[in-house]
Amino acid sequence: MGNRITVPFGSQHVALPEPIKFVFQTENERITSVEVDVGYVHRGIEKACQTKFKYTQVGYVVARVCGLCSISHTLAYVTAVERLMEVEVPKRALYLRLIVGELDRVHSHLLAMGHTAEVAGYENLFMQTFRYRETVMELLELLTGNRVQYDYACIGGVNRDVTPEVAKTLKERMKELKEKCLWIKDVFENDLTLKYRWKGVGIVTKEMAKEFNVVGPPARAAGLETDCRAEFNYLPFDEVGYKMVVRKGGDIYDRNLVRAYEVLNSIEMVENALDSLPQGEIKVPVKGLPDGESFVRVEAPRGELFYYVKGSKKLVLDRVRIRVPTFANIPVMKELFIGMDYSDVPATVISFDPCLSCTAR
Amino acid sequence: MEVEEIKVPLRDVRKTIKEFYEEDKWHFITVNAVDLGGKVELKWFFSPYGEKERFRVVVSEASYDEEIPTITYLIPSAWISEWELADLFGLNVEGAKTGLFLEPDSPKAPLRRG
Repeated sequence: MGNRITVPFGSQHVALPEPIKFVFQTENERITSVEVDVGYVHRGIEKACQTKFKYTQVGYVVARVCGLCSISHTLAYVTAVERLMEVEVPKRALYLRLIVGELDRVHSHLLAMGHTAEVAGYENLFMQTFRYRETVMELLELLTGNRVQYDYACIGGVNRDVTPEVAKTLKERMKELKEKCLWIKDVFENDLTLKYRWKGVGIVTKEMAKEFNVVGPPARAAGLETDCRAEFNYLPFDEVGYKMVVRKGGDIYDRNLVRAYEVLNSIEMVENALDSLPQGEIKVPVKGLPDGESFVRVEAPRGELFYYVKGSKKLVLDRVRIRVPTFANIPVMKELFIGMDYSDVPATVISFDPCLSCTAR
Repeated sequence: MEVEEIKVPLRDVRKTIKEFYEEDKWHFITVNAVDLGGKVELKWFFSPYGEKERFRVVVSEASYDEEIPTITYLIPSAWISEWELADLFGLNVEGAKTGLFLEPDSPKAPLRRG
């Protein structure tokens, strides 16, 4: 019989940016079972959306579900309501939504990659990644007025247009950002120490990804070709050079590389969208009250974000359901830990880029 | 968007899903509840991999006390959605534990209306 120890991981842990608790049963430091608790930051946002706020305000409430992918939440919500109310959004607004959405993906992926580097003990890479992420935050502020809670998309379009001066600055700085992100990608791809630390660790096979309905970069790193940008028509990704990034290893290394390559593709899409930005209105007036149900899938940085909205010709909606990507990936994470060495847990958890403010809502 | 809704009695939910669900083809998204007062409408959402805007939705209704069959025998990852129903709607889902999303001193079944 081995040395059996119960190891609590979280809710506060040096590797965790947000509170989640795993309780591991280990035998000779190998995990034999795990319990999870995700409810530390439950704020009752769904309840608030269907009791306290008008449907026109909910887009701003759901943006507060998460500071990192706030635009994805707003985008999913406004798309669901627009489909329900048959609102035709101007093409320029769709392009602007795409630009902000992809810039958001860039900063979120850089954050995830930086955290994984930090957990691997590579402080310098963590700092460099966050330094380059700062450029994206500045661009988002320039474009939307805010660094995090953008409140950019609204029902019928977007709240702020891009001026020719801002578009010019964006294009110039995107070139600089691309160089930096290429360097980051090269380090994550070729650094020998990182390869030793991450290759073959925390492997999600393609079969596991299907069995546990994994979403986002962890699914694509396992070779599962799924991305809501390809499977749901909510923004004109086909027109700006979207490419699905898929790898086969399914380990921490490949999850980071999926993010690194997606960052480059997102930058390319933003550049293309700026070059072919349609002229015209950024918003159309919306009249009436939502009646019926609608649901959408949006690709947030962490994966598939599902919104279900139901209204009955009232100002306050009957139901707003938010199913976030981390919520969908918790079951596979739990499964993955069984048989793993405890020392690999922090890097594996962080490589999923878990967002608990999204999960608990 | 192509949505195929399959309405079935609660006792047939698992059988209906079993008939079409293949993990190579279908992506299980979630199960959602809408409170209808004294009962809930339940929807299990599926979408096929690689197809654009296609959904299959299994629909059923359950009273607050009725036991909702688990689908974790077919889809192991469904436990988290089912436990959420138990927490936020106070529903009796087969095998589901409470306390994953709510603390012991939280209001019970907060997403029930009224």
